[in-house]
Amino acid sequence: MIRALFSAASGMNAQQMNVDNIANNLANANTAGFKARRAQFQDLLYQNVIQPGASASQQSVVPTGLQLGLGTRAASDEIVFTQGDFSETDNPLDLVIQGNGFFQVQTPTGALVYTRAGQFQLNAEGNVVDANGNLLQPPITLPQNAQTVTIAPDGTVSYNLPNQTASQTAGQIQLATFINPAGLNSLGQNLYQPTNASGNAVLGPPGGQEGLGTLLQGYTEQSNVSVVDEFVNLIVAQRAYEANSKVVKAADEMYQQINNLTK
Amino acid sequence: MDQIAVTAASGLHARMEALDLVANNLANATTGGFKLDREFYSLFTAGEDPGVDGSSGTKLPVIQKQWTDFTQGSLQPTGNPLDLALSGKGFFVVNGPSGPLYTRSGSFQLSSSGALTTSDGYPVQTADGKILQTNSQAPLDVAADGSVTQDGEDLGQLALVDFQDRSVLQKVGNSYFGVTDAKVKTIPAADVTVSQGKVENSNVAPAESAVRLVGLMRQFEMLQKAISITTDMNKKALEDVARVGGSA
Repeated sequence: MIRALFSAASGMNAQQMNVDNIANNLANANTAGFKARRAQFQDLLYQNVIQPGASASQQSVVPTGLQLGLGTRAASDEIVFTQGDFSETDNPLDLVIQGNGFFQVQTPTGALVYTRAGQFQLNAEGNVVDANGNLLQPPITLPQNAQTVTIAPDGTVSYNLPNQTASQTAGQIQLATFINPAGLNSLGQNLYQPTNASGNAVLGPPGGQEGLGTLLQGYTEQSNVSVVDEFVNLIVAQRAYEANSKVVKAADEMYQQINNLTK
Repeated sequence: MDQIAVTAASGLHARMEALDLVANNLANATTGGFKLDREFYSLFTAGEDPGVDGSSGTKLPVIQKQWTDFTQGSLQPTGNPLDLALSGKGFFVVNGPSGPLYTRSGSFQLSSSGALTTSDGYPVQTADGKILQTNSQAPLDVAADGSVTQDGEDLGQLALVDFQDRSVLQKVGNSYFGVTDAKVKTIPAADVTVSQGKVENSNVAPAESAVRLVGLMRQFEMLQKAISITTDMNKKALEDVARVGGSA
């Protein structure tokens, strides 16, 4: 009976976490470059009430035992790195990665972090920075009087100077991939940090064979959250929570009846 | 003690264990690859006690074992290329800490060394008993028969196994099944397909569980009534029938 109460409580806890996760996905339904997370659950250990192979009588043994499960737990919430939709912005430094790559940027503390949000801008020194002011790595610098910045699908950044017909090259944007992107650590602000599980970043030029993807200028990548899917998940989570609370109530009532046996 | 009360108490105990099973099923209603458990009632017969007339011994209802319902769960698309769902009868084989484990939960990941693993880090086996090792970062392509290719290169076929008698499978938690008896041999899964980018949902049906819950509670109530009635009868017997020297 105590088992049933705690199993149901573990189910309610898990569904609460599920709803937390859905809420965060929905809150970021309009965050450019955001990748949805999906909660995963696992069953807990089992209690062997009757061990299989125990002797049932002098001649026979129990062929299969009685195992009572003890509930569920949240195992992980993996990041789903599917491609988001593109929306046109006409901003020459808005970039979309059509593939698995990440932009590499450097925080003010010097750490290298990775992002899919390609809304870049120029800082006062003419360096290409992300929306938080983190420097794109390797750095790309544009002169103050640069005009018509063009970023090719392979990441080559070129610009024209006034009264000049030949275009100048400012450098090539590099993209990073990870063997296990689901193991990246989310830092917030659309930034990801490599971990032991994700492996180290492997840099390469866009458009290569490694599946890094190509760049598309003048677009931003929308969040990959599907609002319809999240609402369906929300309904499932809410009903599962309700079902578990019913078990708590049933266990409570059965307990009450046992207590009423002795009047 | 009174035979009716003992039998009813045994029934109460069995219903409590059945509630434990229902509670665990419902708690795992959203656990990927989970298979629900059902109870199996049987009679406990005390063989040594021939009974008063020599024909029947003590018989008590008990839950002797649970059986796992391996019906297919629904497949939910996730878009993650490392999510593999099985439809049909069969299991993935992974290298657990102490021997092979079997699972239907195919939310796999790549380890930092490039091996395909479960979310607990256990490597997934191929049909020839090796672990599935990727060579580059290129996307994996998994065919319906479990063959994995990457960049046109064949990495091997995922091991998909089944059992003659699935009651040998023991749940060991974290969505794995284990086999304790070393003599049990796996057979190749004949009737199973792998779907990439999907996960198999838990096969717990909340509506059916709710019906079982109501049924359990009512049976429990009836047994409790039976004990109350027996107690009342005993009380009557003691107070009224056995009254000595009553004035009537």
